[in-house]
Amino acid sequence: MIKVKIKCFSQVKYALGKNEIIMDLENGSTTVDLEQMIREQGKDKLNDVSLRVAVNQKYVQDGIELKDGDEVAFIPPVQGG
Amino acid sequence: MVIVEIINGPLIPFSSNDDRNQDGAELTFNGRVRDTEHDKAIDALEYEQYQGMAEVELTELAKEICQKFPISDLFCKHRMGRVGIGETSLHVSIWSQHRKEAIEAMDFFIFELKKRIPIWKWAILSDGTKVPSDCAH
Repeated sequence: MIKVKIKCFSQVKYALGKNEIIMDLENGSTTVDLEQMIREQGKDKLNDVSLRVAVNQKYVQDGIELKDGDEVAFIPPVQGG
Repeated sequence: MVIVEIINGPLIPFSSNDDRNQDGAELTFNGRVRDTEHDKAIDALEYEQYQGMAEVELTELAKEICQKFPISDLFCKHRMGRVGIGETSLHVSIWSQHRKEAIEAMDFFIFELKKRIPIWKWAILSDGTKVPSDCAH
């Protein structure tokens, strides 16, 4: 098993009601697996929300395998300015 | 040169500068908070960032802009937390030899900022509730 930290912002925070989640995952789990779990936890609230993924504060393009201790953020559309 | 600051509390603009003999353009942009979000009245916006990543990404973006456009300097301040109606949330100053490159660089910088910097807005409604903003402009 591995342990990862999920940072929640904007619509993800609103849907899950949490700033941060610590999750235990099976070895070999990917960002795609984790996104699916997060979307299930958010029920319908994240259905229409596109999410980019950042691992350890860097955007990643495709599903990558997660490692123990990784920090993951599912980033809803950004709104700076 | 690039200066990027993500700050809490009131935003103090960068000083104008009369000593830049090589720069004919000093372009300043202030993004301010409107009193509505999608036609709904709001009391304020509250800005949220991905602490650490937002400043790193914003600094990288500012450096990219300085490489892409022939400008001398780009300075940027972005507020976090509650920002009242009419107050400045984003302040950018660009210096360049001529106006055209400063205007183009400013437009591109803000366009990219709104596309990739992990900062979000929450609308504070008149009844005190806080909801994620729908606005991506």
